[in-house]
Amino acid sequence: MRRFLARRLILAVPTLLGVTLVVFATVALVPGDPVSTFLGPGAPEEARHQLSERLGLDRPLPLRYATWLGHALGGDLGVSISGQRPVTDFLFPALGQTLILTGAAFVLVLTGGVVLGALGALRPRGLPGRLSGAFSTLAVSAPQYSVALVLIAVFAVELRWLPAGGTHDVFGGGGALDLLRHLVLPAVAAALVPLGLTARVFRAALGSVLAGDLADSLRARGLSRPAVLLHCAHNAAPALLTIAGLQLAYLLEGVVFVETLFAWPGVGRLLYDALAARDLPLVQGGVLVVAAAFVGINILVDAAHAWIDPRVRS
Amino acid sequence: MTASTIPIAPAVPAAPGRRLPRAGLLIPAALAVLLVLVALAAPLLAPDDPAAGSLRDRLLDPGSPGHPLGTDGQGRDVLSRLIWGARPSLTGGLVPVAVAAVLGSALGIAAGLGGRVTEQGLLRTLDVLYAFPGLLLAIAVATVLEAGVGATVFSLSVVLTPVVTRVAYTEVQRIRSAEYLEAARVSGAGRTAIAVRQVLPVIAPVVLAYASSLIGLAIVYAAGLSFLGLGVAPPAAEWGAMLDESRPALLTHPWVAVLPALTILAVSVLFTVLGEALRRRVGTGEDAR
Repeated sequence: MRRFLARRLILAVPTLLGVTLVVFATVALVPGDPVSTFLGPGAPEEARHQLSERLGLDRPLPLRYATWLGHALGGDLGVSISGQRPVTDFLFPALGQTLILTGAAFVLVLTGGVVLGALGALRPRGLPGRLSGAFSTLAVSAPQYSVALVLIAVFAVELRWLPAGGTHDVFGGGGALDLLRHLVLPAVAAALVPLGLTARVFRAALGSVLAGDLADSLRARGLSRPAVLLHCAHNAAPALLTIAGLQLAYLLEGVVFVETLFAWPGVGRLLYDALAARDLPLVQGGVLVVAAAFVGINILVDAAHAWIDPRVRS
Repeated sequence: MTASTIPIAPAVPAAPGRRLPRAGLLIPAALAVLLVLVALAAPLLAPDDPAAGSLRDRLLDPGSPGHPLGTDGQGRDVLSRLIWGARPSLTGGLVPVAVAAVLGSALGIAAGLGGRVTEQGLLRTLDVLYAFPGLLLAIAVATVLEAGVGATVFSLSVVLTPVVTRVAYTEVQRIRSAEYLEAARVSGAGRTAIAVRQVLPVIAPVVLAYASSLIGLAIVYAAGLSFLGLGVAPPAAEWGAMLDESRPALLTHPWVAVLPALTILAVSVLFTVLGEALRRRVGTGEDAR
C-alpha cells in the first residue's frame, strides 16, 4: 500500500509540472502587453522600460517560467491587477466558501446517487427503475447554469421559498440555519450532473453483482433480501467510490457557474469576476489551485480504491 | 492519471434479452437533423431581426402579440434570438467534436502503432491535459484568444481531443497484435497504409459513436464559455450569451433567462440520448475513464 501511494505521488509530479506549464503559457501567450495595462497607453518610455524590467518581462520565457514556478511553489501567486493585493488574499477565503458549497453538494451526490442507483438496480423494468433511469439521463445532461436559473426562477422568484443568492440574509441573517437555507439551491444545482452519473454507475455495478454468482449463493444460503442487498452493495462499493471521487472533482468546475449565478463568494465566482476584469494573475491563480486540487483528489480516490480493493495495488 | 471531468455517462445497460427498438435511435437522430435545419433556415424561420430591439417593447411577457416568447431586456424578440442562436451554439458544439474525432483518431492510431517514444510522449501529454477539469482547461485556453466562435471551437477542441485520443488508443491496443495486422505487415504494407486501410475502419465506429456522445457536453461547454464572456460575445444571439445578458432582470423577469436555459438543457438531453443510442448500437458501453 505504501509503495502504491509512493508511486502514485511520484507519477503526479510530472503531471503537476505540465499543469503549471499550461497555466503559465496561457498568460505568457495572451495578446496585449501587461506593461500598457498597468501604466496606460501614454506612459513614457523610461517608465515602461523600468516596469518591464521589474516584472521580469525582458527575460527569456524559460527563465520567466522558472521564476514564476519558484514563487508559486512558495505560495506567491502574484498580485491581482484589479484588486492590487496578492492573489492568495482573494483565493484562500474563496476556497473556504467553495469547500462549503462542494461539500454540501457532495453529500447530495452520494445519497441521491446511491438511492437512485439502488432503485434502478433492484427494479430495472419496473416503474422505479424507469423513473430513475429517465431522471439520471436528464440530470447527466443538465448544464449547471440551466438548472441554477430554473431553480432561482421557481423557488426564489415565484414561490419565494428560498433565497436567490448570497450566503446569509442581509438583515437578521447569520447562523447555521440561515447558511443552510442559502446552500440548498446552489448545492442542488451543482450536484445534479454528478448525481446522475453516480446513480448510473452504481446502478450498473450493483445490477451486475445482483445478477452474479455471489447474489445467487447468498440467496441459496437463505439470507433475507435486505441482507443479500447489503452484501452486494458492499461489493459494488469500489465502483461507487471511484465515480464519486471523480464527481467531487467535477463539482469543482461546476461551481464557476453556480457560484456566479447564486452570488456565492467562492473560487468560481472569483474566477468569473477575474475573467470579466481580464485580471490574468487572478485567473491564473484560480485555475492553478483548482487544477492542483483536482490532481490531489484523483490521488486520494486512487488511494482509497487501492485500500478497498487489493487487486488495484499490484 | 486516468481521470477527466468529461462526464461521459456509461450507457444505462439495456435489460437483458431486450434489444433497443429502432425508434430509440431514429427519433433522436431525426430531431437532431431537424435542429440543424432550423439553424440553417434561421433567416426564413425567425419572425424578427434578432439584433433589432426597441426600448418601448422591453421585457414583454411570453405570448405578447408579435412576440410569442416575449422580449429581452433590450426589447429584442426572444424566439428570433433563440433560432439565430442555434447557429453559433451548434457550431460551438459540433465542430470541436468533429475536430476531436479526426485528430483523436489520428493521434490514437499514432500512439498505438508508433514506436515507444511516440507512444509514451503522447500518453504523458494526454495525462497533463487530463489533469485539468475540462471547463478549466477550456477557460485557460480561451482566455488567450479573442472572444468569438473561433475561441470556443479551438478551446473545446483542445479539451475534447485527448478524450477521443484515449478511446481510439484503447481500441488500437485491443487489435494491434491481431493476425490480420501481422499479415498486412508481412505482405509489405507500410505503416500509413496499415493505419488507414486496416486499423481506421475497425476503430471508426467506436470512436464516432463515442465522439457523438460528446456533442451534448460540447454544446453545454460552448454556451458556458459564452456565458463567461469567453466565447461568442453579446450582442450576438447565442444561447450562453443570452443567459449572461438576462442576469440583470433575473429576479423580476426570470423567463428571459429560463427560455435559453431550457433550450440548452433540451438540446443537451437530445444529444445525450442520441449518443447513447449510437453507442449501444455499436456495442460499447465502456467509459474512457
